Amino acid sequence: MPSVAMRPYLAIARISWRSALAYRIPFVLSLCMMVFNLLAMLSLWRVLLASGHPLAGFTWPEMRAYLLVSFVTGCLVSSFTDFTMAFRIQSGLVALDLTQPVHYQRARFAQCLGMTVLESATAAVVCGAALAAFGAIPVPALPQLALFLVSLVAVVPLKFLIVYSSGLLCFWTHNYLGVSFARAAVSAVLSGALVPLVFFPGWLRILAEVLPFQGIASTPALIYLGQASGWDAVRLIGIQLLWIAVLWAGASAAWNAALRRLTIHGG
Amino acid sequence: MYRRSLGAHVRASLEYEADFWILVFGVGLSQCVGLVFIGAVFAKVPHINGWGLWEVVLMYSMMTIGQGCSELFAEGSWDLPMLVNRGELDRMLVRPYPVILQVCSFRLGMNAFGTLAVGTVLLVTALARLHVHWTPARAAIALLVFASALVVKVSLTVIANASAFWLRGTISTFAAGADQLGDLTRYPLTIYGVGLRAFLSTAVPFAFVGFFPAAWVLGHGQSAWVGLLTPLAAAYCVTVAVLAFRFGLRRYDSAGN
Amino acid sequence: MDEPLIRARALTKTFRRPDKGPGLAGSARHLITRKYTEHHAIDGIDLDVAAGEAVAYVGRNGAGKSTTVKLLTGILVPSSGEVRVAGVVPHQDRIANARNIGVVFGQRTQLWWDLPVRETFTLLRDMYRIPPERYRATLARLTEVLDLGPLLPVTGRKLSLGQRMRADLAAALLHEPPIVYLDEPTIGLDIEVKDRVREFLRDLVANGTTVLLTTHDLGDIEDVCRRIVIVDGGRIIHDGPLAAVRDELARERSMHVQPAVPVDLAAIRAALPGTEVSGEPGEFSIRFDRFAYSAGQVAAAVMGLAEIRDFRIDEPGIEDVVRRVYEGGLVESPTGAPA
Repeated sequence: MPSVAMRPYLAIARISWRSALAYRIPFVLSLCMMVFNLLAMLSLWRVLLASGHPLAGFTWPEMRAYLLVSFVTGCLVSSFTDFTMAFRIQSGLVALDLTQPVHYQRARFAQCLGMTVLESATAAVVCGAALAAFGAIPVPALPQLALFLVSLVAVVPLKFLIVYSSGLLCFWTHNYLGVSFARAAVSAVLSGALVPLVFFPGWLRILAEVLPFQGIASTPALIYLGQASGWDAVRLIGIQLLWIAVLWAGASAAWNAALRRLTIHGG
Repeated sequence: MYRRSLGAHVRASLEYEADFWILVFGVGLSQCVGLVFIGAVFAKVPHINGWGLWEVVLMYSMMTIGQGCSELFAEGSWDLPMLVNRGELDRMLVRPYPVILQVCSFRLGMNAFGTLAVGTVLLVTALARLHVHWTPARAAIALLVFASALVVKVSLTVIANASAFWLRGTISTFAAGADQLGDLTRYPLTIYGVGLRAFLSTAVPFAFVGFFPAAWVLGHGQSAWVGLLTPLAAAYCVTVAVLAFRFGLRRYDSAGN
Repeated sequence: MDEPLIRARALTKTFRRPDKGPGLAGSARHLITRKYTEHHAIDGIDLDVAAGEAVAYVGRNGAGKSTTVKLLTGILVPSSGEVRVAGVVPHQDRIANARNIGVVFGQRTQLWWDLPVRETFTLLRDMYRIPPERYRATLARLTEVLDLGPLLPVTGRKLSLGQRMRADLAAALLHEPPIVYLDEPTIGLDIEVKDRVREFLRDLVANGTTVLLTTHDLGDIEDVCRRIVIVDGGRIIHDGPLAAVRDELARERSMHVQPAVPVDLAAIRAALPGTEVSGEPGEFSIRFDRFAYSAGQVAAAVMGLAEIRDFRIDEPGIEDVVRRVYEGGLVESPTGAPA
């Protein structure tokens, strides 16, 4: 019975959502600060595209749309997941997670989904404010919009798996900060969140194409803008799904390997 | 004692050499991100709002060095939410030493060395590419202005983290967000609307870390003279940091046991 | 004979530790040479625990107690050897094993730091898929026994150590596990809370739960456990009924004395034949058999010879138990044979 099997994970998602709500103030404030970052990007591109000449095929309204979509995907699956994981692994609290009758990876995903509810709600509010301040963005036609939504939903598991896999590295290193810096840097550049991938030289673009990161920002943004439509969009979504499958299996294997070499402090 | 505490951290961190290199690598990459952005943008446009590539790199390098100084001198302040939340500040309150310094030296950001290296290389390269007329007086004032700029950055980090006294999270999300706010000033301040410009130059004077000092050195724009006010901004930020700790400690109730 | 509920054979866990020279140079050399020493946290443990048994698993710090518990709970994967708990190999089928067990780590809490205790409990209810009526009944019972009523609306971070332990005990027992592991459950607690926890554990055992209690505080195991297993250096050095150990230890007491002026220890030895006097004339200890002398007699004898500034009587601790085993004071029973 799937509903019985799901019950523990639903409870985990609920409690993660609740525990985020217990600290509404920092949560909302940190989001306010992300808005400032969005503001910087919007301000910069407004100046650069003020003349009306498109840059690398982007007009100002299009760039606005691109930045907003990548802002939304940036809000989803915050660092909460990997940092709590890192903390529990390094402090040995992971021992308690291991005494619970749930799959570790699924439980972390459930935890992340609980947060996503809150993250998407707040992202929506911010987008509304940004639209009011910087002007409307083009809205795609219905079929394209549906494709966009599918790719947006796929961002959540994909980004979770990237974050989770890097969190697993805590079993091999004591310094998670470095890992998370590296992961954030690589994914900022190669996902297209920093700047659309067409701004990059050819070799960097090819690198981005073959790695999973483009699926967490560039893919939904390009589909939204219609720069990838029809079969092209379907192909990009297929790549997202493929990476989800590959990373899920890979992370499970890594987790099993990690358990073999687990040492817990205070043994 | 502050120095000894930091020194102990250097030795402790070197114990885990592999982890040290992972951190250096991670920090190096994350410092490259902004450069990749600047590079990608300037590949398509000659200037941003009248500011050329190397002028922007100069501002960027000042922010980077400031960041490095924060990591070196105030990294421990990132642990303040944890210290407050778990009631571990008690230990520091019974020691005869200012809590603000104990907190700041609680941990050493080993990433500081990576950040400072990248920042310094950028600063030197940018200054070499830009044509600045150096006189002894100008160089002396520039040193004072740059040093004050770094004090501004470190103090702002401490202030942002002092928010932990009022906000009850276990992770410094607010402070991290405030740090991102500073990233706004890696780009010329003139791209922003007047409200945001005023905000970044007065209430939260991140503009005094990179933009104003750089603009003064370059003599670029009508408000280049504002850079000379950097020492004042530094004094203001230090005062706010100390006050934030003083009032924050009054609110502190040691949690749990 | 049925298979025992917990069964370990030649269970071994080896950790690798980087083998570094001192200082910076040593660290740098390690980067290149990568030498490691193998450290046997536990080394060939054979242990059988029958259903309903309450076993004290004691030893000094670092003896391998916690590692054993972590292997039995499926947290760690053994380097070699076999382990089965209620027919399940814990590290292979961790989740099935998790349903059978309750675990309390004295130094770690499973309560959600930021949420009321009640929320942690409802999470566990769903996690262990406890039917609602069962949950209500169990929670009501635990709330009464552990006096949790006032704690339920409080967040984890606001609890004192003793309150936290009570809530943690309830959290581990909500799904009514047939096997309960307690790893140093009274560490850091004050006497009053300790007594309460011990009383609770006695009831738990009386109700037929199988309990493995890890501790270095001998007070924990009295009245709770009938069998004691002593580990040292990763091996079981003694396994037998607790009563024998207790009688043996109950005999021995130590009195530490600080006289106002130094006294001749030989005179004290002469006044108290059969005791062992050690130390300096200015501060010394007298080890005596409680059945041969009362503490009052010992004190009176010393006071007859010198004015006492301060004295203290120590009950035997875990160190003494381990020492007695090595001295042969305890007869080692064949391992794995529950008494």
